[in-house]
Amino acid sequence: MDYGKSDRADALAAEYVVGTLRGGARRRFEALLPAHSELRRATLAWQERLMPLTAEIAPIQPSSDVWRRISDRLDRRKDASAASSWQRLAFWRGLTAFASIAAIGLAVLLGNPRAVPPPIVVVLAPTDTAASGAAAAPIVASISGDGKTLVTRPIVPVALRPDRSLELWAVPKAGAPRSLGVLPTGSGTVALPGRVMADVDTLAVTVEPLGGSPTGQATGPIVYAGKFSL
Amino acid sequence: MVKTPADWSERSRDLSRLLARAGVGDRAAFATLYERTSSHLLAVVLRIQRDRAQAEDILQEVYVNVWRAASSFDAAQSQPLTWLTSIARNRAIDSLRRGQTQPQLRTISPTIDGRESVDDDVYDTVADESPGPLDLLSRAADARALAACMDQLSASQRQSVALAFFQGLSHAEVAEQLRQPLGTVKSWVRRSLMTLKSCLETAGQREARAQGD
Repeated sequence: MDYGKSDRADALAAEYVVGTLRGGARRRFEALLPAHSELRRATLAWQERLMPLTAEIAPIQPSSDVWRRISDRLDRRKDASAASSWQRLAFWRGLTAFASIAAIGLAVLLGNPRAVPPPIVVVLAPTDTAASGAAAAPIVASISGDGKTLVTRPIVPVALRPDRSLELWAVPKAGAPRSLGVLPTGSGTVALPGRVMADVDTLAVTVEPLGGSPTGQATGPIVYAGKFSL
Repeated sequence: MVKTPADWSERSRDLSRLLARAGVGDRAAFATLYERTSSHLLAVVLRIQRDRAQAEDILQEVYVNVWRAASSFDAAQSQPLTWLTSIARNRAIDSLRRGQTQPQLRTISPTIDGRESVDDDVYDTVADESPGPLDLLSRAADARALAACMDQLSASQRQSVALAFFQGLSHAEVAEQLRQPLGTVKSWVRRSLMTLKSCLETAGQREARAQGD
């Protein structure tokens, strides 16, 4: 099915949002969303159209137990992630350092209009497919100001079956995703060949056979995705 | 961008701020967000998932996910109440999907004479107090001055989209409920959605013109 066609995308998004798209079709639609900007745009528009209709439903107070249960779960998550919070702290420290460098960069930029623009940081959030298990923390990607390199850094190390690889894709506003190669398990640097980022507004990560997709097109589920603008 | 009711947008401004703070780990802001939105989300979920205990389980899942995803919320792309309501509806619809593959749970409640009654017909259980789906749709249309435009649709066409959207019924369930062929119901839902879309777009242009004058 050609999900890129805008009428088809609009009709599918309408069915998804109204709720009549069910079963396997609903799951496939959700898996496609992070990588297809046309579908995502149509879905957001239908949500803005239809959700306000629920304003007429009389509110119903949940029992006080519900908030207690939510609160407990958030506390447990905090305990469970205490070990990894050192890594997160290191990350935030890194980010703070980056912020000061960026600030200095800005000062230099003001004095020298031809300076290289600062890097773009893209947060690749885990998708619903990835929500279970270890992949609950995002991967941060930063594209260098000159657009030639991309540095990836998972906030928490990603657990993966030994016979699988994660593959990074640049998803253009229209057309097929372009492979940026297999994602290193830890931090890593990816060289970006010229024009590979043209018209790209999303980075996505899929699970592929070891060594990357055999076909050159994404074959596995999207586990991380992040939107950005250049 | 589609024009939304004023109170929806006004509430959304506050909620954007709370979501942004929750996104950086502010639990107090998240508690306030819950206080202001949970009764709306529960009502939306309960229309689709009638079992109160399951609906509250869904609500719990929704807010744990909202906490996790708050930092990725993009206020430029959608309104917080729209975003939250969409997450809640998706969870509620997914719970119906799971319900089909798992043993069906039925609400058993003792009646006055002590016997247990089983709610077999889920469609009857809402009818008593809360307004029906068609009623909700026409109120929503009235609130946004769309009634005249929506009148282009027959009552059955409006009923079909209202049952699907508010009650979370599939095409097949709507067809069964309205005792109509599946194909007819599918085209009714599609036609109703397209009418609604053009009504909202026209209303948006009208408002934009009125503001331009």
